[in-house]
Amino acid sequence: MTNARTAKNTRDKAAELRAEVARREARRRSMIALAAVAAVIAVIVGSFVLVQNTKRDTLTSTAASALPANVGDDGSIVVGKASAPVTLTVYEDFQCPACLSFEQANGQQIKTWVDAGTVKVSYRPIAFLDRASTTRYSTRSLNAAAAVVASAPDAFPAFHDALFASQPAEGGAGLPDQQLIDLAVEAGAPKDKVTPAIEGLTYEAWTAKVTDQASKDGVNQTPTLLVNGTKLDSFAPDTVKQAVEAAAK
Amino acid sequence: MSLVSPPSSGTTFSRTLSLSRARALSTAARWLIGGVYTVFGLAKLADIDTTIRSVRAYQLLPESIVPSVGTALPVVEIAVGVLLLLGLVTRPAAVVTGLLSLAFFIGVSLAWARGLSIECGCFGNGGYTSNPVPGYLRELAINTAMILASLWLIRRPMSWISLDGALRLHHHPEA
Repeated sequence: MTNARTAKNTRDKAAELRAEVARREARRRSMIALAAVAAVIAVIVGSFVLVQNTKRDTLTSTAASALPANVGDDGSIVVGKASAPVTLTVYEDFQCPACLSFEQANGQQIKTWVDAGTVKVSYRPIAFLDRASTTRYSTRSLNAAAAVVASAPDAFPAFHDALFASQPAEGGAGLPDQQLIDLAVEAGAPKDKVTPAIEGLTYEAWTAKVTDQASKDGVNQTPTLLVNGTKLDSFAPDTVKQAVEAAAK
Repeated sequence: MSLVSPPSSGTTFSRTLSLSRARALSTAARWLIGGVYTVFGLAKLADIDTTIRSVRAYQLLPESIVPSVGTALPVVEIAVGVLLLLGLVTRPAAVVTGLLSLAFFIGVSLAWARGLSIECGCFGNGGYTSNPVPGYLRELAINTAMILASLWLIRRPMSWISLDGALRLHHHPEA
């Protein structure tokens, strides 16, 4: 072995050693970085979940203290004779365009059944489309409906129809509170009662509660229709008619 | 770049070229995943209640943990998204996005197979749909892209303009 080759070998070994030390150092640093980042994220996520869960619990207890009168424990608003053999359960969101189509296609027929005493409608309005307006119209309109039912249950059907007739387009600001008040009064609700409830969002916690309950019951879209508890696949008038007539027999 | 005893200068040149191409691709993958996770995470964070309902709609988790999962999910998504945009702890962050997108992929597939009609919340869209199939396809496509990009980053975490590079945290001999 010549001296030159020995010297080169030594140099190579030294370089390899240095590279290995640098790699080890980088690995150590990256472990520290990972541990630090993971700890920061864990603290942020943990405290965020804690705060949100506490907020939700508070809202639930608020809902219990501000339930609108004349509404069932399950959040139902029943229209029609108690003796009617068929119960049509209707989950709707006043912001939902498909619910408007459903009302336009079936509203008249349902009224006829209700008047004849064949059907009672268990309305289960929910508010899950707040993102579709800039002012949380979904929640505001449902709160207004609760205000109407609480002060004048007989005014609900007219108010319900009026809300759909003047349904705002998705993505806009929705109807202003004043217009909701006007519609409620036109439908027959007392102005002095509904005005503070609509402007103050008195039943907001209740709207969150019934919307959450619907989700827990497996209702993920509106309209959802049930005839005596059985879910319908479609809200086409033929399907609805067939199911109601079969249930009435 | 330290290459241990290069066989010939020609190979070194082509290796250098393919390494820089790999880094360009890794940079693009980081920004793609980071952008998608941050943007959709913010959308979910803006409406936590809807996110919780979406998680519930998949009927895969027990009700007792659904609200906490729905609350934590957007924050975790934004966190790993920002980490990838910054290029900090790139490889572990890519492991998380890969696993999350795999979970979303499986969730959407199961929902579709079981005929569940879901206003899919995994990437923060909302509203009523009578035909969920286009939404399912969109979710599957996005998540497939996320999984592939994450796998690439796990294999090749070194990229340009990254904090990992600036803080000299790389110790992967292959890159």
